[in-house]
Amino acid sequence: MDIVVCVKHVPDTTEAEIAIRDDGRGIKKEGLVFDINEADNYAIEEALLLKEEFDGAITVLTVGPPEADETLRMCLAKGADQAVRLTDERFEGSDGYATARILAEAIKDMDYDLVLTGVQADDDGSAQVGVTLAEVLGIPHAALVVSTETEEDEDRMTVHRELEGGLHEVLEIELPALLTIQTGINEPRYASIFGIRKAMKKQIEVLNLDDLELAEEAVGEAGSRTSLVKLFIPVVTAQATILEGSPEEVSGELVTIFKNEGVI
Amino acid sequence: MLRTRKFVEQYDLLGCIQCGRCTGGCPLSLSSPLNIRRIIYEFLVRDKLDIKQMPEIWDCTTCSTCTLRCPKGLDPAMILVGMRRVLTEGGRIKPTVRDALESTFKFGNPWGRGKNKRSDWAQGLNVKNLAEGGFPPKACPEQGRRVGGDRGGAQAEILYFVGCTPSYDDRVQAVARAMVKVFEKAEVDFGILGNEEICCGSEMRRLGEEGLFEFLVEDSLEIFKQHGVKRMVTTSPHCYNTFKNEYEGLDFEVQHYTQFLADLIERGKLVFSEEVNKVVTYHDPCYLGKQNQIYDEPRAILQSIPGLKFVEFDRSRERSLCCEGGGGRMWVEASSGGERLAETRVKDALALGAEVIATACPFCMLTLEDAVKTTGAEGSIEVLDIVELVAQAIST
Repeated sequence: MDIVVCVKHVPDTTEAEIAIRDDGRGIKKEGLVFDINEADNYAIEEALLLKEEFDGAITVLTVGPPEADETLRMCLAKGADQAVRLTDERFEGSDGYATARILAEAIKDMDYDLVLTGVQADDDGSAQVGVTLAEVLGIPHAALVVSTETEEDEDRMTVHRELEGGLHEVLEIELPALLTIQTGINEPRYASIFGIRKAMKKQIEVLNLDDLELAEEAVGEAGSRTSLVKLFIPVVTAQATILEGSPEEVSGELVTIFKNEGVI
Repeated sequence: MLRTRKFVEQYDLLGCIQCGRCTGGCPLSLSSPLNIRRIIYEFLVRDKLDIKQMPEIWDCTTCSTCTLRCPKGLDPAMILVGMRRVLTEGGRIKPTVRDALESTFKFGNPWGRGKNKRSDWAQGLNVKNLAEGGFPPKACPEQGRRVGGDRGGAQAEILYFVGCTPSYDDRVQAVARAMVKVFEKAEVDFGILGNEEICCGSEMRRLGEEGLFEFLVEDSLEIFKQHGVKRMVTTSPHCYNTFKNEYEGLDFEVQHYTQFLADLIERGKLVFSEEVNKVVTYHDPCYLGKQNQIYDEPRAILQSIPGLKFVEFDRSRERSLCCEGGGGRMWVEASSGGERLAETRVKDALALGAEVIATACPFCMLTLEDAVKTTGAEGSIEVLDIVELVAQAIST
């Protein structure tokens, strides 16, 4: 089963001090630690588990700057076979739609049975790339996948989609298809430093806009259907009420507050 | 499947006479299926071993009682670490271990905390920062090191290497603050690396991530050189042990703080003015005692504190009962249930009539404090670091 996995190199915001760029349309990246997008890490692991069961090759792609090689190497170290980085200044400002079109151009001529992406990115949280990519590629998709089961002849999969309140929607999907993978679907393995060093031997293919059959107007801000107007840190106000009394008194008060606020 | 021949050669296992002194002294032998003598036997008689089916190798605390007792000079604890290396480098490790390793690579500490929070414990204390004004370099796997960054620079005679656990853990931060109070009282010229300080890597090596350990060694040596570090004193015996014995290329004096304070007291540079009227016993940390033979200095400090009544555990010095905090065990649950060694230790301390268990290691502190709670002994006994007792005995 040949699998394509799309990953993103994002900032890890653990206790990080986020500063807004001077132009108000992005964050300052200095001092931030970057890592693979969390949901994409689960996607790669799912691909690796499928490869262990059904053989085949895993190709991992990203649209990102040269630093994204760090994430690609980690995927190669874990067992991906090939890596492709799509880098071009003209990709700057691409929204989910434009990014999906860039990825689709790189993927459309590949031989694949399955495309995996994470549900959403930790930085912009749009959750658009995976689903849009499926549409542009013309393949069926299922989003928010929390479990997969592959049929013996490997032409269909049964997937569980995560809905609200712990409900699952169970779908049968014909391959080739795209799944957006939700966190928690598996337990990602570890890529050791020695493993990453060994993976340095594997080549990362780098492509730019000229290598793709895509017009300049189809990418970047020009190719986007949404545009980021402003990014700001919300003003912190103090609005806390401390309830005092015995546990019985306090819980009674809480229930009243919840009722009044329409929570219950 | 692990081919045994290479292991046998690498660790000199043909020297083993199967006497069993290793397993006989192993503190875990009663509660875990871990049997190091048996493991060595399996290596000797089989061509291949499926180490994935041996979860007990993660129970080892690397206390090194086995190594101390081996009549043939073998290092059984390191054989277990060698087995862990195969598993870790293959990525097959528990999620808790994975998270600790990934955190150390990204943030320089295994606790999942931000780099920029590492020196928060020192807020308001006015401690000299040897890396003031600098900003940290970034990881670059292609070069296999961190690159860039700008080191700032105050100067001091001694680097106080705080360590990850005292920096970030709520309880152990009090130990670092007590250290600062004591150093100031003794007019020690010291500084810290602040947010530039990164993990010593001792536990990472023992969890089998040798590559990460090498990465950290390179980084730290670079940081120490940049700031002209000439002498170091550590909070933790683990940091002490690895800097002193495992960092190739480190060319300055490293001491555990108990050595440093004992010397200050002997030379009259640290004078006590308050009494600490408590019955205190001392738990020898494995990495200070068993592995580095530092038994007398901690005792000398405790016994010089006015009013303190010192009582000795039966299992003291090289027989000290491992607290199960080392060897990566802060991130690995024991494979079997049953009484934890730290709980046994607390019960022994209560039977001695001790009011305080003194120790000199952040891991011992945390595991013993947990055990005080789980044995219901809260209120009857407390766990304090030696430096906390010293801080109680000096006026501010």
